[in-house]
Amino acid sequence: MNGTVVRLTYRALLGGRRAWLLLLMSVLLLAMAVLLRVTVGVDHQITADFLGAVAVAALVPLFGLIVGTGVIGPEIDDGSIVYVLSKPIARPRIILSKFLVAACATVLFAAVPTFVAGLVMSGTASRIALGFGAAALVASVAYSAIFLLLSVVTRHAVVYGLAYALIWEGLLGSFVPGARTLSVQQWSLSLTEAISTRDLVSSDVRLAVAGVLLAVVIVGATWYAGQRLRVLSLAGEE
Amino acid sequence: MPVIQTEELTKRFPATTALDRLTIDVEPGVVGLVGANGAGKSTLIKILLGLSPATSGRASVFGLDVIKDGPEIRERVGYMPEHDCLPADVSATEFVVHMARMSGLPADAARERTADTLRHVGLYEERYRPIGGYSTGMKQRVKLAQALVHDPEIVMLDEPTNGLDPVGRDEMLALIRRIWVEFGITVLVTSHMLGELERISDHVVVIDAGALLRSSSTSDFTRTSQFLVVEVSAETDAVAATLTEAGLTVKRDGHQLVLSLDDDETYDLVRDAVAAQGVGLIRLEQRRHHISEVFGEDQADV
Amino acid sequence: MSEPTARTGVIHDIGYRKYDGPRLGRARVARALYSHSLRGAYGLGRSGRSKVLPMMLLGVMCLVAFIIAVIANVGAGITSELVLPYSAYTFTTQAILTIFVAAQAPVSLSRDLRFRTVPLYFSRPLERSDYVLAKFGGLATALFLLLTAPLLIMYVGALLAEFPAGRETGDLLLALLGTVVFAVVFAGVGLVVASLTPRRGLGVAAIITVFALSFAAISTLQGIIRYEVGNADLAGWLGLLSPVTLVDGFQVWVLDASGRAVAPPPGDAGGVVFVLVTFAAIGACWALLNLRYRKVSI
Repeated sequence: MNGTVVRLTYRALLGGRRAWLLLLMSVLLLAMAVLLRVTVGVDHQITADFLGAVAVAALVPLFGLIVGTGVIGPEIDDGSIVYVLSKPIARPRIILSKFLVAACATVLFAAVPTFVAGLVMSGTASRIALGFGAAALVASVAYSAIFLLLSVVTRHAVVYGLAYALIWEGLLGSFVPGARTLSVQQWSLSLTEAISTRDLVSSDVRLAVAGVLLAVVIVGATWYAGQRLRVLSLAGEE
Repeated sequence: MPVIQTEELTKRFPATTALDRLTIDVEPGVVGLVGANGAGKSTLIKILLGLSPATSGRASVFGLDVIKDGPEIRERVGYMPEHDCLPADVSATEFVVHMARMSGLPADAARERTADTLRHVGLYEERYRPIGGYSTGMKQRVKLAQALVHDPEIVMLDEPTNGLDPVGRDEMLALIRRIWVEFGITVLVTSHMLGELERISDHVVVIDAGALLRSSSTSDFTRTSQFLVVEVSAETDAVAATLTEAGLTVKRDGHQLVLSLDDDETYDLVRDAVAAQGVGLIRLEQRRHHISEVFGEDQADV
Repeated sequence: MSEPTARTGVIHDIGYRKYDGPRLGRARVARALYSHSLRGAYGLGRSGRSKVLPMMLLGVMCLVAFIIAVIANVGAGITSELVLPYSAYTFTTQAILTIFVAAQAPVSLSRDLRFRTVPLYFSRPLERSDYVLAKFGGLATALFLLLTAPLLIMYVGALLAEFPAGRETGDLLLALLGTVVFAVVFAGVGLVVASLTPRRGLGVAAIITVFALSFAAISTLQGIIRYEVGNADLAGWLGLLSPVTLVDGFQVWVLDASGRAVAPPPGDAGGVVFVLVTFAAIGACWALLNLRYRKVSI
């Protein structure tokens, strides 16, 4: 972990239009939660459906995408990554510092608002809020790692990441049962299933399996990104 | 007949005044626009092109008002901006062809003229590679090519020698001179390097903080002055005394003596004085003006 | 002009030639920029790699349509109509449309902003509104092609399966009208978001967020409000807030299409509002783009 890299990354990430987009998304989630609470009242099934479909399935992956690519993508794009790479800091350490910033940002902007939205909609009943908050937490950390890796590997990380998030997790996930075992969303939902006391959420993946897969993905993606940064080439545009 | 005319042209920004009641007339030829960084040179060009509106005053190009007849003017003008403006992932050929089409050339004419123009600016094999890999000199040439490709009647070059090494700078200046002499296109060149404008311009306009300092032909600027500089190996005071006795006004400038050059007789007087003292003559030259003196003069006046 | 050199085997320097040919006016220049943008949306005229994504997306769209056409033919005894109606195709495949807009809208605008090529355009006989129109038109046309090609494939399949030609043609034409509106709305929103940032990656992410998140949120809310609260009208009104449900509602009311949104526009009043908002959205995108390019620093 390198303090300077952390500081620079954090400032770059949250210093511009990206930050406004992230803030807008969190505010929107909370606004919708409040709206539902006010119009519909407390209904735990609705809470589960809403948080599952909007927070975990849409908001968290998008957050992971924006933040995961935002901590290193722009620097590679305009070439200013050379300033960091030419310092005597180990490449894996650079990645780790950036991953830390990404993970914290997604937790702050995605997981915490999800938890708060759950509280707004259902209070502390059945530990729903906690369950979904935990799901959002692990999912956002996992997505950050995945998209950080993608950003190091390709200049078009955002588009490929989208294709993964939308097509794999979205379309295929609905139609092809096998695909669900490899879906970050399903892993995180198994956590919700375990935490919340009511039977509102079901996941196709057992908790133990999900836990292992999450750990493997997070550690593996971060490690591999460090390796790829070692051989990063900046030549060419596309 | 003047190609560019401005009348009391003013451009004010919240923090500064970029142009202050500027009134100039530009005749066909190579016109150098000189001023320090931030003096208002780029702003003037942008106003002439209609890219930026003036706060007050009028300007016209080819007799057409820049506000009312903007599109007509822009059909006949080429612009080479100071900043980087080239996309990195297309080749020079593709880019210049596209820009030619954006200037109104039909597709085949655009391709033909692009090939010609790139040759004229000196880009040969490199023209098929993406611009991202070019050196600064090559990029400046591409910028110039896109300004020339549609055969404009006047081109406006904003700091064309920026970032070039001395050889590149010479080549660019020679190219600019050719544009007028061989191609017959009027050129408005800006620079903060006075020396290079002296070499290639027919007419120089000097701007300082948005106001006109001076506008005259280069020959006026750099005409030989009426001073003679004499340097001798020893006994400078004695030589000075002899010359003063002979009726010349002599000023001492360090090791040198500066005499006013009234007629050819002055040379004979100097020769005689030096021979009489038995010293060596190191220097005997007429002093020329430099454009930089304009700034010096006016600062002295102020 | 210098004399041509007469040595054999040497490139003749024929000197500078004046151009006396035609100089096309604003309209033709804008058209040239339009076709440049349209081709750029599919990666034509640029490097090979920029063709991969748009062509792949086009391929996937057509593949799905092809499968539907095959099913229509193979199951001709069982089914007498297409599995997926023409007008519902866009809604169902909106993920592909979204990715296409998200990827290609920045390609259209962000390059010129990032490399500061914009002054070169505006120092030519091209007005700022011409630039905006050409870019908007180019991307909208590209999206129209993306959405129409699969419909044509399905149509051919339907004719081959000997479904009633009159009915199929009628349905197809109505659906084509709907795709025009989809194309224009999506292009407009995508370009407005792309024009806000010179960074391509952020532009892509922001566009995706706007489309995908709005759809996920609105769709979920509509579901909850319609089925668990029982208020179908309110659910219908919510459809105004996301581009895809907005145009779907427009289609349902104006073209009598089979909508796919969770709730249709409530009644005739709702339908009129949907139409007005659709046109207002298009107008707003146009105005915002013009405003953006009036203020662009040059």
